[in-house]
This record gives sequence, structure tokens and C-alpha cells, in this order.
Amino acid sequence: MDDQHNETIKQAPLLEARNLTKVYEDGVKALDNLQLKVHPGEIFAMLGGNGAGKTTTINIFLDFIQPTSGNAFINGVDVNKDPLEAKKNVAFVSENVQLYPNFTAIQNVDFFVRLGGKSNYKRNDYEAALLRVGLQREAFDKKLKDFSKGMRQKCGIAIAILKDAPAILLDEPTSGLDPKAGKEFTRLVGELRDEGKAILMSTHDIFRAKEIADHVGILNAGVLVAQKTYNELKGVNLENLYVEYMAGYMEEATGSLINSLAE
Amino acid sequence: MFKLIFIKELKEIIQSSRFTISFAVCSVLIILSFFMGAQNYLASQAQYEAAVQENRKQIAANTEWIMVNHSIMLPPQPLMALVNGISNDIGRNIEMSGRGELRADNTRFNDEPIFAVFRFMDLEFIFGIVLSLFAIIFAYDAINGEKVGGTLKLCFANSVSRASFIGGKLAGSFVGLSIALLIPMLIGCTLLPVLGVQLTSDEWIRLGIILASGLAYFGLFLALAIGISAMTNRPSNSFLIGLVFWIFAVLIVPRASVLISGRMIDVPNVDDITSQKNRYRTQLFEEDRPKMSSFKPEGTDPQNVMQQFSSYMRELSSKRQEKIDAFTERINEDYENKRREQEKLALNLSRVSPASVFTLASTELAGTSLKLQNRFMDSATDYQNVYGNFMQEKTGENQGGGFRMIMITTDDQEEPEYLDPNEMPRFEYKPVSASMATASSMTDLGLLILFNLLFFGGAFAAFLKYDLR
Repeated sequence: MDDQHNETIKQAPLLEARNLTKVYEDGVKALDNLQLKVHPGEIFAMLGGNGAGKTTTINIFLDFIQPTSGNAFINGVDVNKDPLEAKKNVAFVSENVQLYPNFTAIQNVDFFVRLGGKSNYKRNDYEAALLRVGLQREAFDKKLKDFSKGMRQKCGIAIAILKDAPAILLDEPTSGLDPKAGKEFTRLVGELRDEGKAILMSTHDIFRAKEIADHVGILNAGVLVAQKTYNELKGVNLENLYVEYMAGYMEEATGSLINSLAE
Repeated sequence: MFKLIFIKELKEIIQSSRFTISFAVCSVLIILSFFMGAQNYLASQAQYEAAVQENRKQIAANTEWIMVNHSIMLPPQPLMALVNGISNDIGRNIEMSGRGELRADNTRFNDEPIFAVFRFMDLEFIFGIVLSLFAIIFAYDAINGEKVGGTLKLCFANSVSRASFIGGKLAGSFVGLSIALLIPMLIGCTLLPVLGVQLTSDEWIRLGIILASGLAYFGLFLALAIGISAMTNRPSNSFLIGLVFWIFAVLIVPRASVLISGRMIDVPNVDDITSQKNRYRTQLFEEDRPKMSSFKPEGTDPQNVMQQFSSYMRELSSKRQEKIDAFTERINEDYENKRREQEKLALNLSRVSPASVFTLASTELAGTSLKLQNRFMDSATDYQNVYGNFMQEKTGENQGGGFRMIMITTDDQEEPEYLDPNEMPRFEYKPVSASMATASSMTDLGLLILFNLLFFGGAFAAFLKYDLR
């Protein structure tokens, strides 16, 4: 990809959160004015602890919840206004891919790929995608109930590959995978980025994020407290940076809480 | 998208072990109910034929019509054996008399009291109790199970509308599970002629509507279970709620409606009415006693005296009977009006439950609803007139109980002439026709459709608001 082309596509982010705020019914503010952009050929890793707002962001992009204010765009389509059109442009792999246990791997892939709007694939295409993600051929016609988590994740990424959407959302996709499977998964995500996909990934895994992400954002209590590029992260101890930001933010938040209580 | 989800649902259901078990159980139960129904019908038919022959033999063994004790019987119908309704609870035999009140005796449970405790396994039981429960067991986790399993989120990460998803799911579940019912139903229908039960085209139509209403009943419980599943987050909760609804709909509401209507409309006890009638009869008899004592014959010829006495007593008896009939008619009408009012209220209250609606529709179509008793008694009353006229013609008097004196003289020289049973008018019970049955079950069939629309609509609406996360 030449620089000029890169520049052109970078002007049009495939995933964009514009002033996203989400306050749940119980008053908890899950997202506070979140701004992020993911361009084609980029991986944006969202780091943060539990309840930081990573999954909420992904849920808003998938129209599972409505933002209190702000907008989420997929390939320029406002998710809130036209969710069905927006979701044609995105594939999703969850933390724990669950497919229909009584269906075989091929049957599951066939169903979800068709659901994603691709109905022209043949069995050979499914097999090729499953082989690419590292699933053994013997497993193709086995029922999913006999699959390990790693095998299910592979099926999930195969479905995302076959959907061939320009943007991909990954919700803690390597959580619970053994190191080998995690490494394999990282390789596949890198390949997809190289194919020009815009990937937004939420993760707890600082090292994997540093390894493959073009941008790393640190979320704390719904606020994007830091955002660094791959180049900015070179030579930086991301773990320290993460702790520092989290601690600093917590201190600040605690301080303002004490102040407001004192007043 | 609807088609894709529909086919997926169908495949998923058919490949599940839950389907295999349900299919096996449904098949065994439905085929068994057809088989048992056919066997019961054939046994009842044989019993009925034997009783008719016995009746004819009894006539043929007599030389005087006045000596004949004639009884009529409710002929068995194939659909009665498949959907029992009240057919086993009502008396099947009526001792015929030319006038007066008729009384049906000898219920099926007189012969086989064990069935009064455990009842028969007919189609109404299979659908009403077993299959409705299966529908809940099958679909209680249709939506929240997918949520817990994680597939719901993956589905809706795609460009899928909620309407096509729930529509496809409802249709797929219904068609998938209907297959499990239709196959044994067809086998059961084929079994009937194979076992020697010949149904008329009218009966086939009625059976077809019964089976269709059974499917509709099954469908509404399926939609209900899916609806509950789309309103709860955990399968255990939806199963519990579904089960509670089933218990209320199938077991509590029908019984409670009878109890409530009994409290609201007071109907005199049958024993009270009988004792009132007996008291009145005794009172009239006591009033007539002085008249009986004052009988003075003209002449002394014993045969002439006997005739005069018979004629005098007949006249007294007729006048008494007229008064008794008028009293009975009045008291019966009052009782019937109140009973009907109570019954109507109970039935209307019970229609809150889909189970009651299905029972009422299926028994109406099979001709075994509460109306069966009235239909049998009406046919018997019609026959009573024919029988009364026949006996009047043959004996010179219309038998109706009360006092009767018979003197039979025989001449040793003459060979007694035996009666011809073919002379006795035949009792014909007119079973309900398909058009009549459909017309009178229209309300309940309509309610079944309404419940379906309501529950399917409810499931649809619930899913539109469902939290997919």
C-alpha cells in the first residue's frame, strides 16, 4: 500500500466514536465523552480494567445499547440511525465465541456467514478459512459441543474473515486462550490489519496490545485517559504507563470526590 | 433473513436430543391413544351389538308386547373413543317407557371403575396435558438460552432485524415441533382403518379439525414459552414461570371456574328435586286412595269387573300422571335453567384458560361435550313418543309405570305366537354432523386462534424490547 493511498483512507475512519457518553439507568457513567477513530489497516487496542467501558463501547457499535449522547459510526454510517446498514460493515469476535452446539463447525460457519450477508460461498471456501485460522480438518464436521474454547475462537475468527467486512470488533478475544493459541490469534489479527481492515480490540493484555496495536487507548471509568501510537510506545514500559495513568486518574478522581464532599 | 433463521431453527431443533426424546414420547403417546381408542371403540361396538341382539331375543321370547321390557342404548362412535369427553361419565342405557321421565343408567365406569380413578388416555389428554407441557419444556430457553449461550449476540452483530429473527424462530420452532406431532398423527389415522374402524367422511373432517386444533393449542403454548423466554434473562426463571402458567391453565382454572360458578349461582340438589317429586307423587296417590276404595263395579262377571277396574285405575293414573308431569316439568325446567346458567358461567370463566378452550373445542367436535347427554336424552324422548304410540297400538295402553294389572289367558289348544322383534321401532341416535360440530365449536376455535395471535404477538413484542447483551 503506497503512502498516498494510506493517506487517503486515513481521512475516512471506518470506526469512529464521536463524544460517546453512556449513563446506565442506575446512574453509573460507563462512558464519558469518548472520542476515537480507527482507520483502514489499523488496530486500536482499548486497555482498561473491569468496568472501564471497553465492552460498553463495543456494545454501542453493535447497537446492543443506545448511547446517552454522542454517535458511533461504522464506515460513515451512524449506528443509531441505521444499525442494519452499519452492521453490514462490521464483523465481531467476542471474548468467548459461542456457536450452536448441535451444529458442526462447517454448519455454524455457513449459518453465520450467510447471516452476515454472504451467500455465495461454497464448502471449499469455508474449509479454506477454517484451515487458515488453524483448525484441523478432522474438526470440520464435528459438533461444536465437543470443541475447546480455542477451537471456538478459531471458528469465530473464520466467520469474521469470511464476512469480509471492512471493520472488525474484537472483545477481549485472547482472554482465556493458552499462549500458543493467543499467539496464533495475534498473527491472524495482524494479517487482517494488513489486508486493510480497521480493528477495534478491547483487551486486558497489555503486552499483546503493545505487540500488534497501531494505537493504544487506556480507558478508566469511561474516560479515555491516554492514547498512544505504536511509535510513541516504542521503548516505553506500557505496564508502568498503564498503572501510572490508572493511578493518576484514580488519585484525581478521589481528590475531586473528597473536594466535592468537603464542599 | 427470515428464511435463513427459520431453516437454522428447524435444523437445530431436529438435530437436538430434546427433539429426539420428544418425538419418541409424542409418537408413542399419540399412536397409543389412536390404538387404544380403536380397541375401545371395537369393544364398545361389540358390546353394543350384543346388547341390541339380547334386546331382540328378549322381545322374540315374549308372546305379549305388554310383557316386553325394552331398553335403548347410546351407540358408540369412533370419535368418542378418541376424544372421550363425557361419553364415559353418562348413562348409556335407558329403560324405555311410553311416558314419564326417562333415566339413563349404566355408565362406562360401572363396568370399569378403575378408569374412573385414572381415566383413559385419549387425544384430549395427550394434547391437553402432555403436549402442552412438552411445548414448554421445548421452548422455555428459546431466547434466553441463546443469550446465555452467546449465540444471540453473535447473530445480532450482523445486519439482522429483530422481527425477522423472532419471526423465523417462532415459525421454525412451530414447524419443527409440528413435524414431531404430524408424523404420529398420520400413522394413528392410518391405524384406524387397518384396525377395522371405518370413519365416515364427516368423521374424518371432524377428526382433522380436532388434530388441527390440537396443533393450534400446542402452538400457543410454544409461543407462550418463547414469549416468557424473551422476557427473562435466565432459562431457569422462564421454565419456572412457564410451569406455573401451565399449572394454572391446565389444572387450576378449569376446576376453579366450576367452583366459582357454583358459589355464584345456586342450583338445587338433584336429590332434593327427586325427593320433591316423590313427595308430590305420594301426596297425589294418597289423595286418590279414597277414590280407589270407592270403586264400585257394575255387574259381577270377573272379566268385566277386571276391565272396569283397569279402566278406572288407568283414568286415575292418567290424571295423576298429568299433574305429576306438569309438576315435574316445572321443577325440571327451573332446575335446568339454573343448571344451564351455572354451567354457562363455569364454561365462560374457564375459557380464560387455553386448556379449557381446547377441551371444549375438541369434545364439541368429537360429539362428546356436555351436549352429548342432552342429545342422547332428546333422541330418547323423541323415541319415547314413537315407542308410546307403538305400545298403545299393540297393547291398547301406553305404559308409564304406576298401577298395572294384566290378565293373560291361554288356550292349551293354541300354539302361542311369539313376537317379531322387527316390529319394534328402531331407536336412532343422530350423532353431531361436521357442520354442526364446527358451528358450535366456532367460539372455542376462534379463541384458540386468538390465544395463538396473542401469544405469538406477545413473544414478538417481548423480543423487540429484549436486551441482547
